[in-house]
Amino acid sequence: MTDASTASPARVMSEPSLVGRLRTFGSSYGTVVVAVTLFIVFGLTSSTFLEVENLRNILIQITVIGVVAIGETVVMLMGALDLSVGANLLFGSAIAANLAASHHSLILALPVAVLACAGIGALNGVLTAVIGVEPILATLGTFLVAGGLANIALHESFIIVNNRFFTDLAETHVFLGLPVMVAVMLALYALFSLFMKGTPFGRSIYAIGGNPRAARLVGLPTTRIRIWAFTLAGVCAGIAGLLQIGQLGIVSSTDATGFEFQAITAALVGGLSVTAGGIGRIERTLLGTVIVGMITNYQTIAGVSPNFQQAVLGAILLVAVVLDRVLRDQP
Amino acid sequence: MRLFRAAPFDVRQLDVWFLAGMTIVAIATFAAVEPGWLDGNTLQSIITQNGPLAIVSAAMTFSIISRHIDLSPGSMLALSGVVIGLVYQHTHSLALGLLAGLGLCLVTSAISGLLVTRLGLSAIIITLATYIWARGLAVGLSGGKPIVIDTALSSVTNHTVAGFTVVTPIVLVVYLGGWLALTRTRLGRYTHAMGGDPAVARRAGIRTGIYTVAIFSLMGMATWLSSVLVVGQLQSAQPYASPTLELDSIIAVIIGGSRLAGGEGGIGRTLLGVAFLSVLTNGLLSLGLSDSAYQLYEGSALLAILSSQILIRRRADRIVRRRLESERSQIGGAYV
Repeated sequence: MTDASTASPARVMSEPSLVGRLRTFGSSYGTVVVAVTLFIVFGLTSSTFLEVENLRNILIQITVIGVVAIGETVVMLMGALDLSVGANLLFGSAIAANLAASHHSLILALPVAVLACAGIGALNGVLTAVIGVEPILATLGTFLVAGGLANIALHESFIIVNNRFFTDLAETHVFLGLPVMVAVMLALYALFSLFMKGTPFGRSIYAIGGNPRAARLVGLPTTRIRIWAFTLAGVCAGIAGLLQIGQLGIVSSTDATGFEFQAITAALVGGLSVTAGGIGRIERTLLGTVIVGMITNYQTIAGVSPNFQQAVLGAILLVAVVLDRVLRDQP
Repeated sequence: MRLFRAAPFDVRQLDVWFLAGMTIVAIATFAAVEPGWLDGNTLQSIITQNGPLAIVSAAMTFSIISRHIDLSPGSMLALSGVVIGLVYQHTHSLALGLLAGLGLCLVTSAISGLLVTRLGLSAIIITLATYIWARGLAVGLSGGKPIVIDTALSSVTNHTVAGFTVVTPIVLVVYLGGWLALTRTRLGRYTHAMGGDPAVARRAGIRTGIYTVAIFSLMGMATWLSSVLVVGQLQSAQPYASPTLELDSIIAVIIGGSRLAGGEGGIGRTLLGVAFLSVLTNGLLSLGLSDSAYQLYEGSALLAILSSQILIRRRADRIVRRRLESERSQIGGAYV
């Protein structure tokens, strides 16, 4: 738009074109509009969708992915991808379940589980930032390693967890009839959103995503920041693993299959720019998670076979990415 | 380039020698631990089982050199198989089924290529969407169950000569053709140019749009060919077939020494990467390990190899740079 207006002085004073306005509006509020539109359409076409119980279910269903997606967003803002978060989540929940079942001691189980996930995250960071392995390959390797370790902790089978603490996560209501786990997710989003906006560390992640070379040249400790960002993604996966125990009450080896791709989808639907890196906001990912959650929920209500739901999810991702590009800038 | 041809040992090939050495070490280790492993049929079964990986990796070499990583082949292989199966079920014509599968793969990959080149979207994201929807569609269309395709195709793909199936000549032809295309044709030169610097390639007058679509279509063709082989081998279309094909082939290409950042790589390197990966997975499977131990060993081995390769390459780059600098200072800066 600026190019056109500076090139022809006569048009400087004229109003921006309708398309231009739509683009500006779309790039700032597109995701919100999509979310609200979907909500209204689903509400009008299905009587069950708007029931309080159903809306509450949606929030509970998106919690685990929502928390994983926070860490994935941080890594993606840095211009990288983390394919290990799903296996890492399983690793965390397997350790927590194993320790909770064998020692009956949560004081040990909870921190050890989250620390173990942070360890896998830190390993990702070291492999990519220190050695220089491409993120997608390094995290693919740790995906296998974490998955293998998780299966060892599960003794190649499953562990049923009936500890009060975990059941409380899903059953004790804090506000508006929402359970603790949803509150944890919202709190984490608020925390990370402030953290990314308001701290030097958060801003440096944006800087690395925007231009890695410039970030290094201005003197940012890029190696350390990269390691910490991956570690944070690991911590988020660990917390999500604990929440998932609360939600399911059981840990088995197929629980977290494909979570990394769901988290990436949520972040992309929320309007994260992956082509560039450095563009996007944490709270948008929450919106992306909600949109994906609403669509999945609506498909189930409308009786779409679970087999086809993944196809619809992929199509949504494609549409979201293409729309985002068309709206964000001139093709 | 000519500077080093006379040199006794090209230090930039060090990572290739390292990988070749590690492949031999892996073969020796598995042969020592599991004495029955290295008998007459191991080579034949490794090639037969890893045909799809080899074929897709050849196309992936073009994708990666041109900076367009393609995550779709695993899911598209399954979807193509399911489409072949469904069309065959309804028309009882294998030829129609194969054509439908080819059409699907070519159209999908060409559209991905167009989205990448016309809208400037990242290939990894577009093909990630394909990875998700194609697998979903494969599972949805087949109801999650295998579709039996018992035709003459299976007698072709499962026919053996001295233990070798038709996969062996196909892989050889694909790699020979891939090598010729990458080193001797315009497509190959432009693939390198676009990966080295897309903007410069465009300004140099290369019609990057057409060549990008061509590279994506190569992957579509490789995926279809692999799906035909898999359908023939299993006498059925499996909706959950080859769950990690795309990731395995990316690993094979990168371990072989092509760079994920684009612009550099070779098809022979990919073949070596495929060989190492195939030996590793086949050997680990023959040990009869539990799933968890298998995953753990495979992941650790791959991370170790990837890391060593990168450290070796960095060292080699430094040696080359130093040699160039010293030669430049001798000649007085007019050179290079």
